[in-house]
Amino acid sequence: MSVATRHPARFPVIGGWLGTLTSTDHKRMGLTLGVCSLFFFLLGGVFALLMRTQLAQSNMHFVSDNSYNELFTMHGSTMIYLFVTPMAIAMSLYLVPLQIGATRISAPRLCLAGMWTWICGGLVMQQGWFASGGAGRAGWSSYAPQSNGINTPGVGMDLWVIGVILAATGMLVMGGCVVATIARRRAPGMSLLRMPLYTWTALVSVLMVVGSFPMLVLVMVLLYIDRHGGRIFTGFEGSIDYQDLFWFFGHPVVYVMFFPYLGAAAEAIAVSAHKRWFGYLAFVASMMMFAALSMSVWSHHMYVTGGVTNQYFAFTSTLLLVPAGIEYFDMIGTLIGGAIVLRTSMLFGLTFFIQFLIGGLSGIFVASPVLDYHAYGTYIVVAHFHYTLFAGSIFGFFAGVYHWFPKVTGALLREGLGKLHLALMAVGTNLTFFPMFFLGNDGMPRRVSRYPTHPGWGTLNELETIGAGIIAIGVLVFLFNVWTSLRRRVPAGDDPWLGHTLEWATTSPPPPLNFEAPLPPIRSYAPLLDLREEELDRARERAEVTVGG
Amino acid sequence: MRGGAIPILVWGTLLLVLALGNWVWDAKPVNGAAATAAVLIIYGFGVAVWLARREAIRRGPPAPRSEPETVPQSSLAAMLIGLSVGCALFGLVWTRFLLYFGIAMFVVGVGRMTIEVRAARATRRKVLGEGEQP
Repeated sequence: MSVATRHPARFPVIGGWLGTLTSTDHKRMGLTLGVCSLFFFLLGGVFALLMRTQLAQSNMHFVSDNSYNELFTMHGSTMIYLFVTPMAIAMSLYLVPLQIGATRISAPRLCLAGMWTWICGGLVMQQGWFASGGAGRAGWSSYAPQSNGINTPGVGMDLWVIGVILAATGMLVMGGCVVATIARRRAPGMSLLRMPLYTWTALVSVLMVVGSFPMLVLVMVLLYIDRHGGRIFTGFEGSIDYQDLFWFFGHPVVYVMFFPYLGAAAEAIAVSAHKRWFGYLAFVASMMMFAALSMSVWSHHMYVTGGVTNQYFAFTSTLLLVPAGIEYFDMIGTLIGGAIVLRTSMLFGLTFFIQFLIGGLSGIFVASPVLDYHAYGTYIVVAHFHYTLFAGSIFGFFAGVYHWFPKVTGALLREGLGKLHLALMAVGTNLTFFPMFFLGNDGMPRRVSRYPTHPGWGTLNELETIGAGIIAIGVLVFLFNVWTSLRRRVPAGDDPWLGHTLEWATTSPPPPLNFEAPLPPIRSYAPLLDLREEELDRARERAEVTVGG
Repeated sequence: MRGGAIPILVWGTLLLVLALGNWVWDAKPVNGAAATAAVLIIYGFGVAVWLARREAIRRGPPAPRSEPETVPQSSLAAMLIGLSVGCALFGLVWTRFLLYFGIAMFVVGVGRMTIEVRAARATRRKVLGEGEQP
């Protein structure tokens, strides 16, 4: 039994925009965080377009060397700390309580404080653009000693460090609230092995946030002290220690940016195939294994330093193939024999798996120290991590948006515009990132603002710039789709896709305490599918009795 | 709540195995310390959930909840606390005034949070009292 309390009677009721911004309803917090993340995505996208314009031809002078360093640093930082990771948490904040039949999130006030800390982090980080000397410019990983006070002086870099501390702290707090919600607030009947796929992916992600983000906060605090005369990361050992601590966060976050979108794609595929997800238990086990291994592979980013045990980290990195293979096997098993409807969400989900496959397969090469010596510091690495981080998140994210938009808003997105959006994103992504494999193999280094005239490099770079423009057009089509779908609404109803999980058992959009009607009995991870199958069985029995009688 | 600590402790155990592997193979103090810290954080979280309710490590579906609980609809205090942390750290770099302003805002936020939590408890007591009346 839940009792809604607004606040003490002595304070006036908070309404309007302030009411939204101070709301402790998990749905409003999720939406606010999501909208802010989307704003940072657009900002990070503008940085990418500026970088690609600079690299369109050899020896371009569109931006200065210093500005280019700021652009690639802020592009990576904005996308990782301010878009992909918080967007994953935003989706979890909105969806997890609904999927597990909870009326609210655990510790909502703490969660709201965390959200505002994260927003402050984003704003502080971007303040660097207005500082003398410019924004942070030591890369999103800001290796010491490159990022220390001598090599990268200026307030902009300090603001970057503080921004990362704030953003990481905020996400850590929100992640903790999601874990606590899953641990404490599941509906009667919702055992752990009856939790929906998306909730499992969210749980594993936020467990990684709780386990690894404290290390990011620690390393950034140490970097701040180091920049102000603390002399912490000095010499070769200091540099290696920084990288070890940073990548202890930096690799798990790759999976934090992947798992929730994998869950979204899996839900979209299972619902559009009108079938249970194949191999649910294997999927859950593979998620746990994937997550644990992902916290034991961090030093594969450091093979070339000579300061790590390559064999151990190559072994754990290659082991990641096993759980990844299980997930692909499950996805194919779900499609076989399904009554497949090729909706936009389904197509985005399938494209997610195909695009991530390219990132995953190239990951096998860079997991091998011998091959990584060749690839390190080249565009091969840029291609690999954009196929995993960009393609491996954005297509799953859009699968989730097209799947759950009707639940969140009560309106359907336009399918035609959605398919145009998908086509543009798929063409743009591959045109931008696939040529990078050839450029990298040919020796083009990453993080350079200009490159010499070299046979083939100009053409491939031009293609990449055109591809980046196509991605931008795709994003504009998506924004237009959202705008027009909200302006001229096509009512979705409560369950337009015949969903499997509890969020489809409530109204669209859901009421303040999520569920007004009693929840259906929970006997598996797909309680609504159970109900429909029982109904079908009863109808069959009636038909047999009628025919026989 | 039932079973809530299980995935956390299972994952902590997987991490422990890998951390031991890391100690044996890598033997670098920083790496070992980082892996051990992660294991301790995850185990700590799992133990906290278990201590909150002992059924957290028992398998099976959760039972229905019968006791009333308060659900806050909004919290200006939480927003103030979040903003104050950002403001204070921003002031550390930009201008000292914002550092002091942030600290002051934090104090105000915590004060208001106390009032909000007390009001929520009062509402719960009131609902419980109404429930007990014949």
